[in-house]
Amino acid sequence: MDRRVSAYIIRFVPLLLLFILLALPLLLLLLQWLTGTDSTVLFSFIDRGTLWLIGRSLWLSFIVALLATCIGTACGFLLYKFNFPFNKFYRLALLLPLLISPYIFAVAWKDGLFWFFGNTAAVYSEAGVVMVHAFVYFPLAMLITGSALSQIHSGYEEAGLMVVSFRKMFVKIIFPLIRPALTTSFVLILIFSLSDFSVPAFFGVRTFTTEIFTQFSALYDLPMAIGQSVLLLLVCLLLMLTEHRYLSDAPFFSVSTKGSISKKYDVEKRQILWHGIFWLLLIVALLIPVSILIIQSLGGKTLFFSQAWELVWPAAVQSIKLATIGALLITALGLWTAYEKERRSHRLPNALLLLTFIVPSTVLGIALIRYYNFPVLNFIYGTAVILLIAYTAKFGFIASRITGNSIKQIPVSLGEAASVMGISSQKIFLKIHLPLMLPSLFTTFVLSFILCLGELGATVMVYPPGMELMPVKTFTISANAPQALTSSMTLINLGVTTVLLLLFFIIGKYVFKKYRYA
Amino acid sequence: MKYIFVSLILVFPACNPSAEEVTVYTSVDQIFSEPVLKDFERETGIKVKAVYDTEETKSTGVMNRLIAEKDNPQCDVFWSGDPIRNGVLQSKGITEPYQSEQTKQIPEYFKEPDNQWIGFSARARVLIYNKNLIAPDSLPESIFDFTRPRFKGKFAVANPLFGTTTFHMAAIFTALGDEKAKAWMNALKENGVVIAASNGDVKKRVMNGELAFGLTDTDDAFEAKKESDEVDYIFLDQQERGIGTLIMPNAVSLIKNAPHDENGKKLINYLLSRETEAKLAVSCAQMPLIKGTEIPGVPSLDNIKAMKIDYKQTSEKLEGIQPWLKAWIEE
Repeated sequence: MDRRVSAYIIRFVPLLLLFILLALPLLLLLLQWLTGTDSTVLFSFIDRGTLWLIGRSLWLSFIVALLATCIGTACGFLLYKFNFPFNKFYRLALLLPLLISPYIFAVAWKDGLFWFFGNTAAVYSEAGVVMVHAFVYFPLAMLITGSALSQIHSGYEEAGLMVVSFRKMFVKIIFPLIRPALTTSFVLILIFSLSDFSVPAFFGVRTFTTEIFTQFSALYDLPMAIGQSVLLLLVCLLLMLTEHRYLSDAPFFSVSTKGSISKKYDVEKRQILWHGIFWLLLIVALLIPVSILIIQSLGGKTLFFSQAWELVWPAAVQSIKLATIGALLITALGLWTAYEKERRSHRLPNALLLLTFIVPSTVLGIALIRYYNFPVLNFIYGTAVILLIAYTAKFGFIASRITGNSIKQIPVSLGEAASVMGISSQKIFLKIHLPLMLPSLFTTFVLSFILCLGELGATVMVYPPGMELMPVKTFTISANAPQALTSSMTLINLGVTTVLLLLFFIIGKYVFKKYRYA
Repeated sequence: MKYIFVSLILVFPACNPSAEEVTVYTSVDQIFSEPVLKDFERETGIKVKAVYDTEETKSTGVMNRLIAEKDNPQCDVFWSGDPIRNGVLQSKGITEPYQSEQTKQIPEYFKEPDNQWIGFSARARVLIYNKNLIAPDSLPESIFDFTRPRFKGKFAVANPLFGTTTFHMAAIFTALGDEKAKAWMNALKENGVVIAASNGDVKKRVMNGELAFGLTDTDDAFEAKKESDEVDYIFLDQQERGIGTLIMPNAVSLIKNAPHDENGKKLINYLLSRETEAKLAVSCAQMPLIKGTEIPGVPSLDNIKAMKIDYKQTSEKLEGIQPWLKAWIEE
């Protein structure tokens, strides 16, 4: 009886906490909107114009997702399935565009085009949005499909190659196996592109997200903005549920092969062509924007690097500390929710994280303010705890997916064998499952850390007065500061994140060596 | 465990409550507002906890935050780059009147009648131009010249739904009447006006040489001149019969039920001082409103023909024209 009670407590207390801390603020905001708004205007935003705008935004994001998934998958296929010199360098370097804010990317690209061609008219269009989003988000597809490709058991491919050509084996064996990963990356990129406001606003392209932003920021029409956000949320939810319902078994985002060694091919011909393609991609997606930032940072009448460093450094230290704690929390939450879903068929925690993941940042910020801004809760709202809650709400779902896919790869038989031996479930978790999940948990931590470090949308809404954080400071100082200072700050921001990423890779190498059995 | 505890202490500095503090939310660019707030902190010993935002990104953060925090305000003072945002907060019952010896120094014209907001250090709307693309003697002298065919596709204005451009358009609508103002804006569109993301974007495009000229604020133009020798700016509509240029003061408001009411008042008095106006004049060419605060190199309000507007009436006009402005952009 005691054991059953403790099992219930372990299962439901975290769920209750998750619900109270993250989901309830959003549900209360929704309730306030439904009950507080005049019923005649409640759904007035649903008209032909709105539906047309949603359709147009979806179409734009669809093109972005298609392009980014194609580029990312091609890179993932070449980098994860073939052996050739500098393979690991390309894998790391092609991830870096993910660390550049889409807005910075848009500005740098626009300036670059002007310098090269003396005209930027072409980029102030839907094509500009598609181009920037595709280059910013393709690394995500590369990571997802690359990881899925590296987990295909060599036996399948070898068996196929015995009877058919490589091309046919790819179409008949590899492609069906990575199809869930392709769809997952497609849907995630589509949602990221659909929710981004900064790039369409900069290029003057009207999308549904810019419309919501206008309602929030120009017209201060909160009921309308929330109503439109609910509509956006429903669209995203529909997309995610489709992916979840049919494709949730996608084996992506893992760094361990768990005993199934994927087949790798040697490149004998056309190595120069491959290097050429990767360098072209690196130039377009990374070197051009970074070079433009470097040129701009050196182009002022004075050098601003030391001033930029003085401005960014204190905020960077605070951000790194906060992102570390945030990433630890998110990793732990991701582990718990994924374990509940995959091993105990308890899907509710995961569903709650899905809800908070797809809510627009401004809506999340307003929900958190309304829910937590009470004198008795000042220990949350007035401190960095509110930021940790926002980070968890924004990125918990991604952590849960990464860890969930890792759990799926652990044979159930391992746990069953231990159970037959009379080993308790806690011990099975601690001694068998946890060590096997370590690489994935590490990946989750690193990714969550990077996401927390750069989060701006919700952070700017709820950060405690007086607190300095790197993305907020770079963003607020940038306005009206000399271009050279702004570019210097962005480069420092990028440099700090890259150094930390490298540091994590080195630590990861050491950890995986130590836990070789994992 | 020890390390986790130490990390938690390091991460949560905001947990230490202090009575000698003041919380200010500001949409004035941090590069200009932070030094002033640091000086206040140093001179008074009152810790300033600031939340920064920027007009460049439409002040979404602080404005929505102030509105959402209405029932339990965390902020004591709201410092905005123009009175429009303070007007929005006033209409939502978030600000409260404040009167002091310091507020009396500010001319009545630059204050809300009940002192719900008080103005200081003003900016003006100016025309910024690239000397390589247009000669000074070919420049438009009035905003109404923008519709001339020779300027077709050569100029920009920022998105009129946001920032000081909203204020400017509302002032033009108030001055001309709706019909004439709409006709002028439609003519702008026919003449190929480029709608930039923000005033900063206008500045940048003119500096880069993408466009010959554009409408922006004095602080942007001042920064552009510091950065590049190829740009300069002029005040428009300065002719005898011209409508004058729009003057936009900074505006400061005391928040209703502010947690540090007294310190908030001290900060407001500090912002309304001659010294603060002088600092802002030096850092970003903002024009002092207190008589006798002259700074070399900074335009004086006495020498500029200002547009005659009623700030309250302009704020009200703004609410009325926003749907039309939205449609104008989307067409």
